[in-house]
Amino acid sequence: MSVTLNKISKSYNGRSVLKDLSLKIRKGEFHVLLGPSGGGKTTILSVIAGLTRQDSGSVFIGKREVSNLSPGERRIGFVFQDYALFPHLTVFENAAYGLRVKKVKESKIRRKVDCYLSKVHLEKEKDKFPQQLSGGQKQRAALARALVAEPEVLLMDEPMNSLDTLTKETIRNELKSIHQEMEMTTVYVTHNQDEAILVADQVSVLHHGEIEQIESPDELFYHPKTEFVARFVGIKNILKVFPMEISNSEAAVQINSDGLGQPIKIRVKRYPILEKGKEINLCIHPDKIILKRINEAVDVNLNRISGKIMDRTKNSRDFRTMVDIGGMVLHAATRGGLFDFEANENVWVCFAPDALHPLCGKKSRVPLSKRRCMNRLYSK
Amino acid sequence: MKGLSFDLVASIMTGIFVCLIVFPVFALFTTTSFGELIYQIKSPSVLSAVFISLETSSVVVLMALFLGIPTAYFLAMKNFKGKEILDTLVILPLSMPPLVAGLALLILLGGNSKFGSVLRNHGIDLIFSKKGIIVAQLFVSIPFLIKSAREAFESINKDVINASLTLGASKFHTFKTVLIPLSKNGIYTGMIMTWARALGEFGATSMVAGCIPFRTETMTVSIYQNAMSGEMNSAIAVALFLSVFSFTLLLIFKLRVRGQTENERYTQ
Repeated sequence: MSVTLNKISKSYNGRSVLKDLSLKIRKGEFHVLLGPSGGGKTTILSVIAGLTRQDSGSVFIGKREVSNLSPGERRIGFVFQDYALFPHLTVFENAAYGLRVKKVKESKIRRKVDCYLSKVHLEKEKDKFPQQLSGGQKQRAALARALVAEPEVLLMDEPMNSLDTLTKETIRNELKSIHQEMEMTTVYVTHNQDEAILVADQVSVLHHGEIEQIESPDELFYHPKTEFVARFVGIKNILKVFPMEISNSEAAVQINSDGLGQPIKIRVKRYPILEKGKEINLCIHPDKIILKRINEAVDVNLNRISGKIMDRTKNSRDFRTMVDIGGMVLHAATRGGLFDFEANENVWVCFAPDALHPLCGKKSRVPLSKRRCMNRLYSK
Repeated sequence: MKGLSFDLVASIMTGIFVCLIVFPVFALFTTTSFGELIYQIKSPSVLSAVFISLETSSVVVLMALFLGIPTAYFLAMKNFKGKEILDTLVILPLSMPPLVAGLALLILLGGNSKFGSVLRNHGIDLIFSKKGIIVAQLFVSIPFLIKSAREAFESINKDVINASLTLGASKFHTFKTVLIPLSKNGIYTGMIMTWARALGEFGATSMVAGCIPFRTETMTVSIYQNAMSGEMNSAIAVALFLSVFSFTLLLIFKLRVRGQTENERYTQ
């Protein structure tokens, strides 16, 4: 079932947590709500589940308005951050809880619970209590409990937070395969970009109760639309530029970023949003920066800026090389994890004119009238 | 060295505290013979006081469960205007001198008050009756159950409750199948404390129910009556029974809770 949030607002003690938020999640989609703590991610899940009542706005699951229904009437499954298993019940009884509430026949309960416990590889642990399980097993038990009732929408609140890397990977793969098999609409909350990339069909980035951008993971990580999203997904290469001349296909711009000793002229693709004399922020993904030794030949079609190697740094996914281009630092992806430059070595920082894109807009899954900026930006 | 001297001071203080409890109880044992004790306990007046106390305090525990658990749930789970006031009201009987509580109940329930008259017209006479004892004991002891159960409810992870709700359970079903089982130790503690307080209640009970032998004379009232009239052997017999009974009750409870905790630890 699809999930639609229509102009949802929610405040706690006068502090606005969700601001007129609208979101449509398609049927069968694995949708990740990504953002820093306090962004409103968990509140959105609670509003969908009916555990928190919104101050205004409406919630639809499919065509059914559920705004005033109790959590139990919404046909959702919820996997909580700390699993929230019933500590006084065995794994089997935890999983059977929802069916027992619905007074399902005992034989059917046994059949269904056994089936879902085997799906999450917990058949052998079914008589154990939650205290006797490992973190990964607890996670699986919570997932089985949510799935047994066969909900229309599965909600997951930072479910992998307390798992080790190896267990996370295993559970992530299992989760993806269960999702593909059951085609259940899933809303998954995380603050971890890597998790979002690996599981999501679509990602919504939340900041201060508003959606900054809705996108597929690839688009989000290579084409963030706002400075916040760019920084949140780990792209630090944000250039403040001043368009000097605009031709048919390209524009000559001057980098005016803070800290830069001398303005640097580069060529960028001509985006309709560029206006001569109007300052704008452009962003470039570290993967799109090529470092060349000073004596190496550089393709004439590429921009070429002289820089000095500073250091190597690591984010959660890969190594990055930090290059000083005269008072400003750019981050370039370190190919193959190999750092083959010396500290203080002079290099060419090269990138294609279309490697940069403007940070101008917000959501992409919004009414057409509001998408003009995005459409203009990426129309070829 | 400093840590060691602090430990020594703490040990001495603990020793003084133990003496404070043990010596008076020991004094009770040493002032009478075992034969005399058995003889006194078998006497009809002492047996009557024991039965009245056990009967009324048991009813009080049941009534406290019936009234106190929903109140504890309400205070633990709901946020509302005036919660602080209700919270203070709940524990007020703990700080109120029992004689004051007894006087207040006497004025409210006595025949001269409107409420007392209404009750009497409906055949409910609380003053100088066992029902009066129950009301007085309930008044002073119910805060123990509410406080203990409330703390137990509050200690439950809210997401466990939410999990039950999202799985389709009603609030009552969640209360019955999740909150009560997970709070049972807290509720047992509250029951034991309530029972012990009701058994030991004297001031409010004597004000509301008086000291009518074989009718409203509880163990504590009996101790007072006998001690004041010079029947020390009888007073000591009841006092010893009350002390041993309370001690046994608390010990059984402690062992039970410890057994459960160890069992839970073993399964982890």
